[in-house]
Amino acid sequence: MRKFLTTVLVLAAAVNLRAQNVSDLIINEAVAQPDSTGILDDYGRRSGWIELYNKSTGTVNFGGCYLTDDRNNLRKSLIPKSDLRTKLGPRQVVLIWCSGHSADGTFYANFTLAPGKTVYLVSNDGRTIIDSLAIPADFPRNLAIIKQATDIREQTFEPIDIPVSPSPRMVNGFQGSATKSELIKEQDPHGWILTVVSVSVVFSALALLWFLFWLLFDRPARKKAAGDASTTLSMTDGKLSMTDGKLSMTDGKLSMTKGKRTVIPSEAEESQVAAAIALALDMETDGDTYAAIATAVHLYMNDCIHDMEPGIVTLRRSESAWNNKALNFRKLPGR
Amino acid sequence: MEHIFESLTQFWEYTGFANCSWQNVVMIAIGLVFITLAIVKEWEPMLLVPIGFGMIVGNIPMFPGLNIGIYEDGSVLNILYQGVKQGWYPPLIFLGIGAMTDFSALISQPRLILIGAAAQMGIFGAYLLALLLGFAPNEAGAIGIIGGADGPTAIFLSSKLAPDLMGAIAVSAYSYMALVPVIQKPIMLLLTTKKERLIHMPTPRVVSKKEKIIFPIVGFLITAFIVPSGLPLLGMLFFGNLLKESGVTKRLANTASGPLIDVVTTLIGLTVGASTQADKFISVKSVLIFGLGLLSFVIATTCGVLFVKLMNLFITNPAKKINPLIGNAGVSAVPDSARVSETVGREIDPTNHLLMHAMGPNVAGVIGSAVAAGILLSFLG
Repeated sequence: MRKFLTTVLVLAAAVNLRAQNVSDLIINEAVAQPDSTGILDDYGRRSGWIELYNKSTGTVNFGGCYLTDDRNNLRKSLIPKSDLRTKLGPRQVVLIWCSGHSADGTFYANFTLAPGKTVYLVSNDGRTIIDSLAIPADFPRNLAIIKQATDIREQTFEPIDIPVSPSPRMVNGFQGSATKSELIKEQDPHGWILTVVSVSVVFSALALLWFLFWLLFDRPARKKAAGDASTTLSMTDGKLSMTDGKLSMTDGKLSMTKGKRTVIPSEAEESQVAAAIALALDMETDGDTYAAIATAVHLYMNDCIHDMEPGIVTLRRSESAWNNKALNFRKLPGR
Repeated sequence: MEHIFESLTQFWEYTGFANCSWQNVVMIAIGLVFITLAIVKEWEPMLLVPIGFGMIVGNIPMFPGLNIGIYEDGSVLNILYQGVKQGWYPPLIFLGIGAMTDFSALISQPRLILIGAAAQMGIFGAYLLALLLGFAPNEAGAIGIIGGADGPTAIFLSSKLAPDLMGAIAVSAYSYMALVPVIQKPIMLLLTTKKERLIHMPTPRVVSKKEKIIFPIVGFLITAFIVPSGLPLLGMLFFGNLLKESGVTKRLANTASGPLIDVVTTLIGLTVGASTQADKFISVKSVLIFGLGLLSFVIATTCGVLFVKLMNLFITNPAKKINPLIGNAGVSAVPDSARVSETVGREIDPTNHLLMHAMGPNVAGVIGSAVAAGILLSFLG
């Protein structure tokens, strides 16, 4: 069941992504009736054309999508899937000729444009209209109807009613706009505004982090530490106690308990240090390694170690087939 | 015989001797100085050895068109250099840094975060100065980030804002990071009194595992929501830290903090070094960048130390005063600047250990410089 749900979710996400990508395309510009000054297609003809624009920041493959001038026939002109050139880069345009012959090539549609027509871009499912552009009935020759960005950040586009000179293979509206750096240079030539704003943002971000952690963790922890100071680690009758003892020492042996008060016999001040080390290490990790270290420190500080090592390491030889001389002798050829 | 002579002449034309210019010799000498400093003085050897050798590699005079140079499309060095140019390596290094960083010092004393913010003034001080010297705002922003004392951040931002200046900016940032002990100590001594240097800070409290796990998540959410343009760096930094602190992804954390960061550090160092090809590197702009880089470190250290002194004015409890010697650690050169705090602190009082306290502003500086880079990118990118 879980596998099934995961598969469904993955497929749904994939379908959604695919739709999302293609939906970033718009019909950016159209020229219905070019005159003798219009641009020529690959066959030297002057046909009407439309321009598609990818308003996203990723590459979109529009192969498999459809173009049509008939609302009732959304699959009228298929853009071939197999052509690698149908991948349109971010914020790029592509020109499609409405020559009436899709057999002319990938970028040719099998209908022609005329005033009063509406051209549709249809998703690769053949049903979803991604975008459309209506050419007014009285639209003059050799002029273009275009969509222009109303908000560059959001990449929202609206058609402009006024006919304009065609701008084939160019992004409409903001191609000549200044870069951010140039704008900043004009508005803030000495850099003070940017500096003040940036410093404020850096301080705000880190101050917010400080405030949150102070409020949520540091303050409560310090209050708790102040309240529990006597019970966190206390010595009573030579016994060391801890309140939420995860680690305890009894008779020189280390034991791990959970949520239980445990007592450690201790005669010397050093044992308290050893236990404190154990506590701190235990809070840091849950590893047995630290428990072993704490035990060793405890034993050492309480003189529980019965003999001192001389600092000489003795390795006892263990016999095996690998070091058995008899087995390793090379048999010499007999005389 | 004539044929042999012609062949030898042709061979000679392909050798480094025939194509050598004085600029190549200068850059190779600088590369050798870097390697010497790394080996003899042990200043940032992990970076200076690859960068220094990269400088030598990038400045071997060669006949152009053999498709072997770092700026020639499709060459091995060019392919490796894409990681710098496209900004892939810095976030991977941040992943490793996150997996290596223990934020306990910061979490236990959250007030020290603010020192990390104050030290970022070095970035904006250098930005203002660069504008004054006639750099364009995007170039000034890229130069300013040297003051963040964070090599990967400097490479990341300069690759976006001013790719032409990236070699000089990266080399400048790494050089001054290696020279942190030399640059910071005199400033710290100049700005603090003996009494201030003797301040003993309270022992930081033990931080729970829960806090350590929550910190990267909350830290990421806050900083990324405020500065989404810092996402590649902040995301990787906090993700790496979550891998470490979660306790359930030890293998991933070990890979990120070990083999992965080692591989990327090697590649970034070598290719950044090799990108300093003499004909593209030796210019008046590069000299100015080095000067501005030094000033940015000075400003950052000064602001960090002075900010601690300012904080102390508002701290009434003498036991809670902050030693201004940890102010320098707000620049993010981890852990070198924190080590400087410890060294200078112990020089006047051998019992005064400031290392753990200084690690707080030090790691805050990493976050602060990434946030600052994000802001500059959103304004100037």
